[in-house]
Amino acid sequence: MKILIVDDEYVIRHGCRMILEEQGYTVETTATCGEAIDAVSSNAYDLVLLDLKLPDRDGTELFKAVPRGINGYPRIIVMSGYINLRNNMSAVDQARFDFLPKPFTDEELLAAVEQNTMG
Amino acid sequence: MNPSLDYRPLYNAFREIISVINSSIRLKDVMDLVVWKYSEVLGARGAIMRLLNIDTDELEISASYGISQAYLAKGPVSLHRTITDACRQKKVILIEDIVNDPRVQYPESAREEGYRFIIDVPLSVADNVVGIIRLFFSEIRRFSEAELDWIIAIAEQCSCALGKARLIDSYEFKYLQLATHAEKLSALGRMAAGIAHEINNPLAGILLYSSNMIKKVPPGEPIEEGLQIIIDETIRCRKIIQGLLDFSKGRDPRKEPTNINEIIDKSIKILENEFHIHRVNLRTHLASDMIDVMADGSQLEQVFVNLLINAVEAVPEGGTVEVISSVGESRTSITIEVKDNGPGIGKKERDKIFEPFFSTKSKGTGLGLAVSYGIIRNHHGEISLQSHPGKGTRFIITIPVSQDTDSGLAGISTQETP
Repeated sequence: MKILIVDDEYVIRHGCRMILEEQGYTVETTATCGEAIDAVSSNAYDLVLLDLKLPDRDGTELFKAVPRGINGYPRIIVMSGYINLRNNMSAVDQARFDFLPKPFTDEELLAAVEQNTMG
Repeated sequence: MNPSLDYRPLYNAFREIISVINSSIRLKDVMDLVVWKYSEVLGARGAIMRLLNIDTDELEISASYGISQAYLAKGPVSLHRTITDACRQKKVILIEDIVNDPRVQYPESAREEGYRFIIDVPLSVADNVVGIIRLFFSEIRRFSEAELDWIIAIAEQCSCALGKARLIDSYEFKYLQLATHAEKLSALGRMAAGIAHEINNPLAGILLYSSNMIKKVPPGEPIEEGLQIIIDETIRCRKIIQGLLDFSKGRDPRKEPTNINEIIDKSIKILENEFHIHRVNLRTHLASDMIDVMADGSQLEQVFVNLLINAVEAVPEGGTVEVISSVGESRTSITIEVKDNGPGIGKKERDKIFEPFFSTKSKGTGLGLAVSYGIIRNHHGEISLQSHPGKGTRFIITIPVSQDTDSGLAGISTQETP
């Protein structure tokens, strides 16, 4: 299982990576939207953990750039509580992401990851 | 009507003066128009309008026409008894002996200006003295009864116009106060949302690491307890911030199935500190069989926070506030009560309590209950008040579970008739 973490905060990237790697996931991280789009375009991730407030562009741009693979992968977990988001999205996009508002515990993170990587 | 008296000139003059006075709603304009028109129509040299300052009990110059600066510079005139008597009896006072009359405070100056005759016209609303218009003439004039009566008639209209202008002024002032306050609140809300989002990141770091570290500590170690405390307190921060964000959200009513007990809990959480600081006891009796209602949770939260704040401020230290939720018998509506054992609310205030701008607090905007009333009405519910001085206060809110069959929406159907 390959997971990409996109967040401009070192602590979040590092903390999530530590927790996920302990459970056996393969984890990569980026700190900007541009890097994330590049990464997803050239790698097959099962899941992307995405913060929306990124320094170069709004995280939602990832949605447009990421190709929707088989079975709706990669799924995206948005680490934010913005509910307004849904209104600006197509039905297809709405089906492929989940919310995990910060702050979350390690258990909550693992539960969300599990839910979004099981078929 | 007396057939030998020609009322037409009086009537025409009346019509003219009144339409001019009513042509403006601004207090300053109305005052200036009154003194001008009165002088003109009566053929006076000039006029001074003095309005009563309730605090100092002095008549202060508010407007003048045709009077020299030197004369105006004379100090304020205190309320002479004969003036108030005249006001109550709605009588025009005619002063012919300017030099000796006690009601003329600066007789030498008056003589110097060339005034030989003065009349005082009382301005009153109901039985209250509002002020006086003093008209100055160069020669002594004789007025018939009809003319004196006419002068009073004009005064009555002037008092009305002044009263209304004052009211509008005070509303405008309140409106500005309110708009400023609303703008501040809005800015505060935006700031609160910004801060909340900013804080969430560092909190995320704390929670991630502490929740992970506690699993790496041998169980029973003292450090475990410390880590658990860190986790619990951080989760508590999370709840507080979520409450803050919910509260500062915009006003678009987004209705969804809502458990009112959860909203009540959130509201109480927001005010925990207030209850603590004021040493107020809070008791809740929330129905265990509560059913969901279609509602905008954050708007209802606003209502409960408003009622709770009022209750906390109403009771003395050691007082009690109770919140009770229940489901109606037919299970088609729910009821929430906020009770306090404070001093209660008298009939006069009770009648006005939901009015916008009505407030018993010196710093209140007077909008809390008005907005709450509006929100409850938007939910097709009712909010009412039961209170008596010495017997505490009860606010009662009922909200229907579903709002499809509201009679107020008759004629507006969202479903096709079969």
